[in-house]
Amino acid sequence: MAAPTEAQLAHIQLLEQLDIHSIHKNFRNPNWKPNQRRNKNLKAIVGDASKREASALATPQDVSGDATPAADDGLSTSGTSTPATSTNGNPPPPNLAQASRSLSKLVLEKTLKPPVGGAGAVSAPNATYTNIESAPSLAHSKHYCDITGLPAPYLDPKTRLRYHNKEVFGLIRTLPQSSAEQFLAARGAHTVLK
Amino acid sequence: MAPSAIDDRVPQAPHEKTYPPAKIFPVKETKFEKFIEPQTDGYKRALEQPGNAAIVIDNGSSAVRAGWSFESAPRINIPPIMAKYRDRKLAKTFSFAGSDCYADTTARGHIRNAFEAGTGIISNWDVAEHVLDYVFLKLGLNDASGSVDVPVVMTEAVANLPYSRKSMTEIIFECYGAPSLAYGIDSLFSYRHNNGKTGLVVSSSHTSTHIIPVYNSKAVLSQATRLNWGGYHNAEYLLKLIRLKYPSFTGKLNSSQAEHMIQDHFYVSNDYDNEIRDYLDWNGLEDRDIVIQYPFTEEVIVQKSQEELDRIAERKKESGRRLQEQAAKMRLEKLIKKEQDLEYYKNLQGRLVDETKKETRRLLDSHDIKDEGQLEKIIKELEKSIKKARTKDVGGDPEEEQEQPDFSLLEIPDEELDEAQIKQKRQQRLLKSNHEARARAKAEKEAEKARIAEAERLDQERRENDLDGWLDKKHQALQNTLQKIKERDRLKQDLGNRKSLASQIRMKSIANLASDNPTKKRRRGGDDDNFGANDDDWGVYRQIAVGDNSDEEQEEEDLASTLKTLEQDLLKYDPNFTYENTQEAQTVWSKSLLHAFTRGPRPIDPASQAELHQIHLNVERIRVPEVVFRPSIAGVDQAGIIEIAGDVLTQRLGSLPNRDDFLKDIFLTGGNTLFRNFDDRVRDGLRALLPADSPLHVRRAEDALLDAWKGAAGWVGSSAWKTAAITREEYQEKGAEYIKEHDMGNSYA
Repeated sequence: MAAPTEAQLAHIQLLEQLDIHSIHKNFRNPNWKPNQRRNKNLKAIVGDASKREASALATPQDVSGDATPAADDGLSTSGTSTPATSTNGNPPPPNLAQASRSLSKLVLEKTLKPPVGGAGAVSAPNATYTNIESAPSLAHSKHYCDITGLPAPYLDPKTRLRYHNKEVFGLIRTLPQSSAEQFLAARGAHTVLK
Repeated sequence: MAPSAIDDRVPQAPHEKTYPPAKIFPVKETKFEKFIEPQTDGYKRALEQPGNAAIVIDNGSSAVRAGWSFESAPRINIPPIMAKYRDRKLAKTFSFAGSDCYADTTARGHIRNAFEAGTGIISNWDVAEHVLDYVFLKLGLNDASGSVDVPVVMTEAVANLPYSRKSMTEIIFECYGAPSLAYGIDSLFSYRHNNGKTGLVVSSSHTSTHIIPVYNSKAVLSQATRLNWGGYHNAEYLLKLIRLKYPSFTGKLNSSQAEHMIQDHFYVSNDYDNEIRDYLDWNGLEDRDIVIQYPFTEEVIVQKSQEELDRIAERKKESGRRLQEQAAKMRLEKLIKKEQDLEYYKNLQGRLVDETKKETRRLLDSHDIKDEGQLEKIIKELEKSIKKARTKDVGGDPEEEQEQPDFSLLEIPDEELDEAQIKQKRQQRLLKSNHEARARAKAEKEAEKARIAEAERLDQERRENDLDGWLDKKHQALQNTLQKIKERDRLKQDLGNRKSLASQIRMKSIANLASDNPTKKRRRGGDDDNFGANDDDWGVYRQIAVGDNSDEEQEEEDLASTLKTLEQDLLKYDPNFTYENTQEAQTVWSKSLLHAFTRGPRPIDPASQAELHQIHLNVERIRVPEVVFRPSIAGVDQAGIIEIAGDVLTQRLGSLPNRDDFLKDIFLTGGNTLFRNFDDRVRDGLRALLPADSPLHVRRAEDALLDAWKGAAGWVGSSAWKTAAITREEYQEKGAEYIKEHDMGNSYA
């Protein structure tokens, strides 16, 4: 192996200077052990949240603090079997029942109650990540050429591409189907096989 | 096609134009800048003012900006990325965060982003933690005793997901041990920094665009709306468009380059539909077309000096001469040898005359000669070759002197000849037919020449006598040729499509040729289908052959040359047929919209490596920034910002008596609003949706990128901050999901 050149040595030196792996970080809690499965993508997070919300909604909201949740669970119909929610068979003490109800459920109950005073302009549910997304446009959508971006009065029925003039059409007809699909994908009109 | 257009061969072709130099910009991308020393002074100052100082982190998806609340600008501004890898050679693990990742090629390959692509939601907490490590390290917190003992203020996405907030809170309290933490929304901090009280905040940032009404400094989050489009999507969209525009581009494209292109050259059109219609017009295209130059290596063509060329030519000539000399010498030697041989054999022949038969036999045998006849033949051949060699040296034409071969034996019937003569006769017959064939070919060639000359003469005669008729005929021929070319192209295309009629006919012919059973029922004995009896039958093989065929190319060239000659004739004699009418002029680059689109207003030189590594940005310059106004362009099924803002102002807030207060302050912030004309466009768009005399006022943030951080820094120390911050004790008591609602932050959901 050739001896590293001066530039290479300088580069390694720079890397060692930049490296933050080897620096001891005083400010970190040495006992901090994050959950190994904390990395979730957006879809999973939203899915979990909506599941929790759904389960919170399924349980009755007007339970008073002293009622045991197992009693009016609403899930068991026969009444002979113990509902799964009571963990040890014995009716749990009331204060534990209240503690078991999560904070999020309490907030949900609060927000689902009809607004008392007309504080807001319009009564609307709380903003969540999913419900603040804007709705589809009601405006008339104009058509633009998929190749050039110019206004497109024509549509090629074979590739479904919009085009500006006959020269562009000539190009479209020489395109293989796969790249025609890519042009369609740029405006989200491609065929998705599931 | 371009170079031929400016060729001088065609007399009427426009002469080469000189073009003003193109606007060429080198490609830019995010690079490593320099090592940043950890700065401990800020930390010391923070300790001097407990309760009023905090670390402010604008935790954005394009950049994490961090600094001290008592300063006017963030100290650190890095992308939320990290790279971690193990160098096997050095047996060492390296990890980098922020721009440092770009310092090394291996590191660049290991870059991971904290945020989920295209959203403001953190999906990789290891990266997020790493970036925070970097931030605290550079802010000098390694001097602290075991924890980050300064309050932290952080921005988060509008309506951040509870899980994301919980994870971040856990990290800040559990891992870093901060005394308190407060969250807020970046665009609201920006609005606060710009002294906004009541208005509509339009924030278009890296991953999303939000519209939030603010009333009396409090965000009306229930009316907040998000459009999933931002600078990140712009860059990805542009990248997609470039890849489609230049499918065979060899340079390496990445979204960081696209981001820089967008920042530097793109703008929002004031009137998109009208502007885009004429965007590729030749008038002013030079101003609209932007050229991005990618790095390339010019093919080195070694220019030799005249002296060198001379020397090479001289050397070549020299060696040629030497070869010639050698050949001449060899020829001479051979000639001498042959002459000697000839003399010897002649001598031998002379001696044989007087010898006895036995002696003759012996002499001939000793020379390996069968009989006297062969000897004579040898002598004759030698004489002939000597003669030939001599004439060659002297420089005569051997063809001329070639006499008609001897065909004497052909006339004599076989019966009268002996064995040897019959053999000779056969040879003579062969010679004769050869001779005759050559003569025939010569005659045919001459006849063809004469025919062409005659045709030309007739053509000329017709032209002189009846110019109109002649021109008509030529035009007709031109049309026919064009038609043929078109048909050929269509056929070629159709054969590419499996379902086309041409393809189906072809498949049928193949099936017929390959099938063993005759197509029609034949009587016994009539098995022969007569294939080949007609020469045209073989054409079927030409029909079924596809792909690059030398035959086909030949035909193509024929059509092209016919077209060329026809056009030349017309150009010469038809006063109404000008250069503009030729096919060449019609397909020239300056007529081509697609050329304008991909190559701008100048001809392209396909040999130039520089031009092959160029990207022309023209329509894209307004097409990409337009998406946020009309998301359907990029296939996003959401309303654009004007429509959303209009809906919020007229529908959702429309019933409020003080709705006009919102109109008076439409506030634009975020990196994606920095485009030229963005504010004008928003103003014009909203005015169209509002009553005529509405008091509309649109303004931009002072610094659309840093105002969020500055606003958050300014908020620290206020009483609002003190009540909104969650302390460590509260976290321990109430859990990671606990937050306090305040004017700048999200509500609990």
